[in-house]
Amino acid sequence: MREVAVLGVGMHPWGKFADKSITDLSRTAVEAALKDANVAWPEIEAVSAASSRFSGGKGWGLNGNDIVEEMGSTGIPVYNLSAGCAAGGNAFNIGYTLVASGLYDKVLVFGAEKMPKGMIQTSGVEEETDPEYLRQVSVGMPGPAFWGMLCSQRMAEYGTTEEQLARIAVKAHDNAVHNEYARFRKKFTLEDVLNSNMVSYPLRLYEICPISDGAAAVVLCSAEEARKHTTDPVWVAASTVATYRYDDGIPRGLASVVPPARTHHSEAKLAVSKAFDDASLAPKDVSLVELQDNTVYYELAFPEEWGLCEPGEAESLVEKGETTPVGSLPINPSGGFLSFGEATTAMGVFQVCELAWQLRGEAGERQVPNAKVGLAQTLGLGGNGTATILKR
Amino acid sequence: MTTPTTTPVAEGLFAETAAGPRLLGSKCTTCETPYFPKAAICHNPNCNDSKLEDAEFGPHGKLWSYTVQYYPPPPPAKYDEPYKPYAIGLIDLPEGLRVLAQVSTVDPESTVGGADVELVIERLYTSPEGNEVTTFKFRQS
Ligand SMILES: [Zn+2]
Repeated sequence: MREVAVLGVGMHPWGKFADKSITDLSRTAVEAALKDANVAWPEIEAVSAASSRFSGGKGWGLNGNDIVEEMGSTGIPVYNLSAGCAAGGNAFNIGYTLVASGLYDKVLVFGAEKMPKGMIQTSGVEEETDPEYLRQVSVGMPGPAFWGMLCSQRMAEYGTTEEQLARIAVKAHDNAVHNEYARFRKKFTLEDVLNSNMVSYPLRLYEICPISDGAAAVVLCSAEEARKHTTDPVWVAASTVATYRYDDGIPRGLASVVPPARTHHSEAKLAVSKAFDDASLAPKDVSLVELQDNTVYYELAFPEEWGLCEPGEAESLVEKGETTPVGSLPINPSGGFLSFGEATTAMGVFQVCELAWQLRGEAGERQVPNAKVGLAQTLGLGGNGTATILKR
Repeated sequence: MTTPTTTPVAEGLFAETAAGPRLLGSKCTTCETPYFPKAAICHNPNCNDSKLEDAEFGPHGKLWSYTVQYYPPPPPAKYDEPYKPYAIGLIDLPEGLRVLAQVSTVDPESTVGGADVELVIERLYTSPEGNEVTTFKFRQS
């Protein structure tokens, strides 16, 4: 496999854009990434795109084809990847593989989303053979209820307090104040968060990410191409994809096995562990993490599940400010899903943009000092997990 | 006037047996893995001989964790209007199964993690035609 560099990144701001189409959002992000890479559209040799369930793509998730038509139909191959909320991470992995394998020298990866109004139903299928559908009709359980159950179990096991949960949301917004692409750029106080409505105990409204529209794009290239543009490229140290294990203790339908040990989010853990192996790096080498914070709970659970801290230690890291951009384990300096809102399939690409800005030292007021290694992770319906490690 | 009927929310998920309410699932006799709902084939990658037979689970379990759902769930879930918050739990059964279910309580905020619970079949909602639609729940004992 060849070395792969991140040559350019670009985003459209996150928010709700009633007057813009998904193609408008996509075009802004793709043009920004091409400009950042100093690459013209006809030079792009292949596109790896996240498939949206909600918008564009001719209703078939052909969002990559849409952007090629928009930018100019040069006849290049297009790969449309579907992996629920992990689709952006999957698209990045395929884009990476296309360059690493030597098939192409310059590849565009992108993800864009225009989300429908209100709370989304997880499954798109209304059949009793679909486990998600069966769960919705027989238990009546939206996504946040899952996070609530995992979080209340953590509270029972480690004594996590509601104030510690709220602190994570406060930190996310402190970071987002400095990110021009974030949807919510207002500071939140501990009281603001603790006074927001309880959604799924113990999680409150401001501790759960809303849904947003957004688009992000990345230009990947070979080492040879990268060196024509810069002497100090941002490298892809690893890009991995995994699916959940049979002995995972989180039911994907109505039931799972009782796991032999604390085995949760195995798809994320497998992807992250393999990424460390592939990159020949260890958790201690990580300068910053962009993880999928659909809820504050994940900022407590994921670091210990991936070996970034000890079990039960995350709460004290939050309290001591160690997860802020200037702490020992910076988590989501971008502001994360909590400040952006989830534009589902675009999120894996958005994370790569933030890692690249951080590693280049271009993150302004939210900059992690001396950032050398960045880890990103997504999790999606169907038990899909992805991880990306960038290094400088 | 038609007589109101009681219908299960889905066929083949649960039953009122002579011994009481039970979940209807299956179990692989080779590797002992339990499944709910019924599975056609064993999903255990370490099991080299999938042999599934019907199995009944319940009624006793332990509440591994819970949440209280303060907002109505989106479709296709249905509930009685006006919406009243309910508890949802992950229940560990001695058969090695972790089941998702509503927790049947008068006050959902009185739910206790780690509590002993027992399977019940109860009304989920009443349809506009006046029919009771039932589902499986676990009651804190
Ligand atoms: Zn078996």
